[in-house]
Amino acid sequence: MKSLRRDFSGDPSTANVTSKVFVRSTKSGKVQKIVRELYLRQDIPCSSRLCTICPSVAPTDANGNIVPFVLSEQPAGTTAFPRGHYIVPDTNALLNGMDLFEHTGAFYDVIILQTVLEELKNQSLPLYNRLLALIKTDEKRFYLFFNEFRLETHVRREQDESINDRNDRAVRTVAKWYMDHLRAVTKSKKEKSVPAIVVITDDKENLRKAKEENVTALSLENYVSGLEEADRLLDMINESREAREAKEARGELFYPEYYSMSKMMTGLRAGNLHQGVFNVSPYNYLEGQIKVAAFDKPLIIMGRHNSNRAISGDVVVVEVLPKDQWKSPSTKIVDEEVVTKNDNPEGEDNEAVVTERERRALQEEVRQAHGKNLEGRPQPTAKVVGVVKRNWRQYVGTVDSTSTGSQTSGRRQQNVFVLPMEKKVPKIRVRTRQAADLLGQRILVTIDAWNRDSRYPTGHFIRSLGELETKSAETEALLLEWDVQYKPFPKSVLDCLPSEGHDWRVPQSTDDIGWRGRRDLRDLLICSIDPPGCQDIDDALHARKLPNGNFEVGVHIADVSHFVKPNNAMDLEASVRGTTVYLVDKRIDMLPHLLGTDLCSLKPYVERYAFSVLWEMTPDAEVVSADFTKSVIRSREAFSYEQAQLRIDDPSKTDELTQSMRTLLHLSKILRQKRMDAGALNLASPEVRIEADNDEVGDPLADVKTKAMLATNSLVEEFMLHANITVAAKIYSTFPQTAMLRRHATPPPQNFEELINQLTKKRDMRLEVSSSGALADSLDRCTDAENPFFNTLVRILATRCMTSAEYFGAGAHAESEFRHYGLASPIYTHFTSPIRRYADLLVHRQLAAAINYEGEDGRATIEGSITRNRLEDICRNINYRHRNAQHAGRASIEYYVGQALKARSEKLAADGVDSGIEEDAYVMRVFENGVVVFVPRFGIEGVVRLEDFVLPSDEALRAVEERRELVTRRESDFDPEEYTLKVSDKGQQERSVCVELFQRVKVNVSSVKEETGRGVGKRRVRILILNKKK
Amino acid sequence: MAAQRQASSASQTPHISPAELSYLYTSLSLPGTPIRPDGRSPTQFRPLSAETDVLPGTNGSARVGFADGTQAIVGVKAEVEKTALGVQAQQLEGAGGNGEAGADGEGGVATSGQGSWVQMAIEIPGFRDDDALPVFLSEMMREPLVESVSSGVKDDGEMVGGLKGRLVINRRWHWRLYIDVLLLSQPLSYPLPLLSLTTHLALLATKLPKLKSKGEEDPFFDDDWNAAEYLYPRIKPAKTNIPGSISVHKVRPPVTLLVVSVAENIIFDPSREEIAVADAVLAISIAHDADSGRLKLLSIRTIDPPSRLTQPGVPNSENVATVGSTAAAEESAIVNPSTGEEEVPGVWKPRRGGVKRATIANMVKMVLEQGGVGEEVLEGLEGVEVG
Repeated sequence: MKSLRRDFSGDPSTANVTSKVFVRSTKSGKVQKIVRELYLRQDIPCSSRLCTICPSVAPTDANGNIVPFVLSEQPAGTTAFPRGHYIVPDTNALLNGMDLFEHTGAFYDVIILQTVLEELKNQSLPLYNRLLALIKTDEKRFYLFFNEFRLETHVRREQDESINDRNDRAVRTVAKWYMDHLRAVTKSKKEKSVPAIVVITDDKENLRKAKEENVTALSLENYVSGLEEADRLLDMINESREAREAKEARGELFYPEYYSMSKMMTGLRAGNLHQGVFNVSPYNYLEGQIKVAAFDKPLIIMGRHNSNRAISGDVVVVEVLPKDQWKSPSTKIVDEEVVTKNDNPEGEDNEAVVTERERRALQEEVRQAHGKNLEGRPQPTAKVVGVVKRNWRQYVGTVDSTSTGSQTSGRRQQNVFVLPMEKKVPKIRVRTRQAADLLGQRILVTIDAWNRDSRYPTGHFIRSLGELETKSAETEALLLEWDVQYKPFPKSVLDCLPSEGHDWRVPQSTDDIGWRGRRDLRDLLICSIDPPGCQDIDDALHARKLPNGNFEVGVHIADVSHFVKPNNAMDLEASVRGTTVYLVDKRIDMLPHLLGTDLCSLKPYVERYAFSVLWEMTPDAEVVSADFTKSVIRSREAFSYEQAQLRIDDPSKTDELTQSMRTLLHLSKILRQKRMDAGALNLASPEVRIEADNDEVGDPLADVKTKAMLATNSLVEEFMLHANITVAAKIYSTFPQTAMLRRHATPPPQNFEELINQLTKKRDMRLEVSSSGALADSLDRCTDAENPFFNTLVRILATRCMTSAEYFGAGAHAESEFRHYGLASPIYTHFTSPIRRYADLLVHRQLAAAINYEGEDGRATIEGSITRNRLEDICRNINYRHRNAQHAGRASIEYYVGQALKARSEKLAADGVDSGIEEDAYVMRVFENGVVVFVPRFGIEGVVRLEDFVLPSDEALRAVEERRELVTRRESDFDPEEYTLKVSDKGQQERSVCVELFQRVKVNVSSVKEETGRGVGKRRVRILILNKKK
Repeated sequence: MAAQRQASSASQTPHISPAELSYLYTSLSLPGTPIRPDGRSPTQFRPLSAETDVLPGTNGSARVGFADGTQAIVGVKAEVEKTALGVQAQQLEGAGGNGEAGADGEGGVATSGQGSWVQMAIEIPGFRDDDALPVFLSEMMREPLVESVSSGVKDDGEMVGGLKGRLVINRRWHWRLYIDVLLLSQPLSYPLPLLSLTTHLALLATKLPKLKSKGEEDPFFDDDWNAAEYLYPRIKPAKTNIPGSISVHKVRPPVTLLVVSVAENIIFDPSREEIAVADAVLAISIAHDADSGRLKLLSIRTIDPPSRLTQPGVPNSENVATVGSTAAAEESAIVNPSTGEEEVPGVWKPRRGGVKRATIANMVKMVLEQGGVGEEVLEGLEGVEVG
């Protein structure tokens, strides 16, 4: 018996075909062997401008053009490579040094291999996306070389060769091929000008083999050392690798090991493990919560050991702890800065996961667990057993000055702690050579790893944003913290703008193609009402009496979808940005300036394209019919809310425009009443407005104003709501699966439990949460005659108990789930602000398709359609961006208030003492060692610690340091059932200050700067509770 | 009618005249040294060509072609499947809890698999998949496959519980094997030996993705195909540094051989013509017994020999056309020693009745004995480079 194998050697084409074999496990549990055939080609260009061969063979597009070559003919040289060099990094080099590759000072002309890109994608999606962005930009000259598809550089895996070894070999093969190829194609030219090919790898074996094969290879560190500014660049290398090597020997482990992926999956499927997003309490950094699908209430994760290296925002898997370890949520404010201030970043030996101080802090909570009331009842606790997805990002922070070594002058590398601005994130150990320079700076760092043998995560420095408290640094910090895309629009986006620029006009002739499908509404008396100084005018209104006694009411929205075509660069950029972000002194636009403030903006006196919703309404504001149309309008006037109010109130004005505004106001009041009757909530959030353009001499705090609510505000609001609802119903009927809608889920009643309990206890008030209508009614009853703000306070607290509204695709939920709880509307969407929200832009496209508007090129109906998956991606992104934009805006106001207080204190410094400013404040939460108060005047809330309660004995003490010393003498008596906190000096209970929940207190607000201690130079708003009863 | 006959008998009945049948039978029944039409010795197999891993998309595959032009391809696919739990097993499961107790499941319960986890489908040109021949063939090959269990102590490279045991992942999960057998040519001879050899090779080449999870966890596999493990584990020879050293299997799948008897003679790997005159046709399944190192018999099935359906020849003495032309004395009937029936030499008479026990015993012995045909075949298959 003999065996015969077919012989392929005679077939010349077999070399061009190879295959890739791997195992794929599908979600449904199937395990498949996948074979992909690869057809190798020889026309993939090297993309070096030096090359004379590749341009002639490179594949061309339909017009016969080849993709422009990327790699420079004169790449930058270093001392080691005077003739210039191309860099070929391997995957680890990118993993460890992505920040370096993004640095503008070095790392030009980089060849990214397809092999490396794919490996990176498997290891880290964020880094992969960053690398893709780098490849897309022209400046850095990154070239993605499809080495796996090119015959010469394709590497077949050998018998018993690991994937890593094979990939390393692929990198070396490419380097070799580039060397030979460049030498060959430049033979005619000067031999000297051939750039070197430098492989960057940290793999020792790879370095050794490269040497054997005559390939130039350097470790990342060696390569960077040869560059200018090496010190600064070296800091940007990922720390985890070194740390791991250095510590392998020690083997002291602080944290329990994570479960294996398969164990977690089994547990999740079996239901004994739970997955959710880890969320750290804003008041206690040792306590986290995780909301899981299996339980109504979130699980509590207590202490560092249980949270097991999870960082706020990570998607983790938890296991519920046995009942004897259940605890009640903490009643104490625990600040990482205070508890761990003496940690030494260099020393690892005497580290324990739970320090004595932390243990004491935790002990308090255990004691509390035995309380009797609802709040004190022990709740299920859990421990983290694995992390499904790290949500690490770049963090803005400051170097902890106490953690820097004594001799900060030298260029010696040392470990320092970086305190992130976000209090929920633990401090990050960073290795740097420039500790001294970084003190007092806002810096950007990233977390690389958190190993079991390290108490804190390790990270590395990326860049400095500038001096602390400078406007530019703080603004950038804020934008980075909330992941706001603030870079200027790239050229590809600006290229999508109309070529006429600001000279663009609505075509004169109504026969023009731009008029196709548009109704001429130029003769209507349309006006816009917006906040003062508004440039991006999204909406305008009109109303007129019809011959039959009814009214025609029109809402006209800027026709942004006319200018932003789907899937071009501008559309993609807008979909990523999602929303315009408003800061106190800055606006980060979603769309380029030209569109937002000019071409789309419904400015007065000029003709503009609009998308109009027209209703016929009876005088009782009953809708007879609704109509949607693209239109051309000419706004007669752009009012601010105040101007509009004045004009309406002025009886001498009887012109048609004013009359129509009065009609609008009248109708809006009826609409509002109807909405309230249907159970809409009147919610409140702590909002202040800042008019930043005041002169320098006045009181800086005068700029801080609480928002005034005028009738005209609600006029605009009502019609916008009405337009949104009308449009939502229309697009849902046309796109039952893919309509872009907005919902506000009905909050589960247990969310309100605590608030109900507090109100019952303190004020004997009942909160009905069975429906939004009942809640609205009961909120209306929560008033305190002596305390007009009390109602608002309750509303603020109630709002926090609710879920936030979200965008979704109609197919994602059942129709009964579409409800907008707060607005008491069965269906809702956003249609009225397409200049500043991407959702509205999409809705515009869908509505255009729904009314069979064809557009200039007849494509508008197609533009309206979108796949469900894409829609879900967009919704996820804009929900996230929307939330971040709100946070960023609030943070900006907070920062501004702080700065205004500081400016005030500096102005008053002439008197010698900064006395701060006295304000009313309300107690929002009571802890065992402090309270949280809300200052409506500035819209800020702040923690008041024991030492910041002013007792009669220490009224004179104002300096931070002086007050800090008080803390050791302070004693508190906390009653968790009555929500009271009695603060006194030790042994002097008779002279005490007692505060309770919802109480109005007098506070002193000032901006203080820490002069000593760990937060040197850090400014914060300090609130002192004054010993004055009102 | 013709198809039915095809299906039930050992092969297509060749259109051979009674005279030819008689000639064949006489040649093959020569005592001690039968003369086969193709000149082979009684135990000689026809040359074949074989290769494995011909279908990249499968977990394992093989192609075997006999010199007479018959060819078969076998592809093996494996799928992860949840094990339906009996009440008892579920109780155990509950006690096992969240996978931590996985280790204790390694022994007893976990290793018993079910025969239904191996599915075999045979496709023969000209036959429907519910025709008797493919169904019968597949069951004939599947049965020894799943029932062959090597008892014995568990050590390296051995399969506890045989193939069934190998398919168990843990108490809740198992592999399901789909063996698809495709005969590429017309079934010129009874295709069983070809299909069996091809299936044997395909199973040897079959790999399963490497399991990364442990114990009672939901299975989770290495995505590197190169790390996949052979279904029939191999052990490298002690001196692994010899380049090109072939790793050997301790456990191999069974093979089914077709053996015919003609008079006293026992003939292996019969051709179509040889089957047509055979007294008995047996399918003998054998496998290596890991304990003794010898071959063991797994099953014997008799196959209806087509010779029973042939037309009988007419002796000259009874032939009207030749009456009187030949002396009756020349045609005196003699008793066939193997069948005990009276026959006229040179005149074909369809076989009837059974086979002697001694003949069957002899057939089995020739297959199983040391240095016998069975070992020769398995050695030959071992020589086919797998992987």
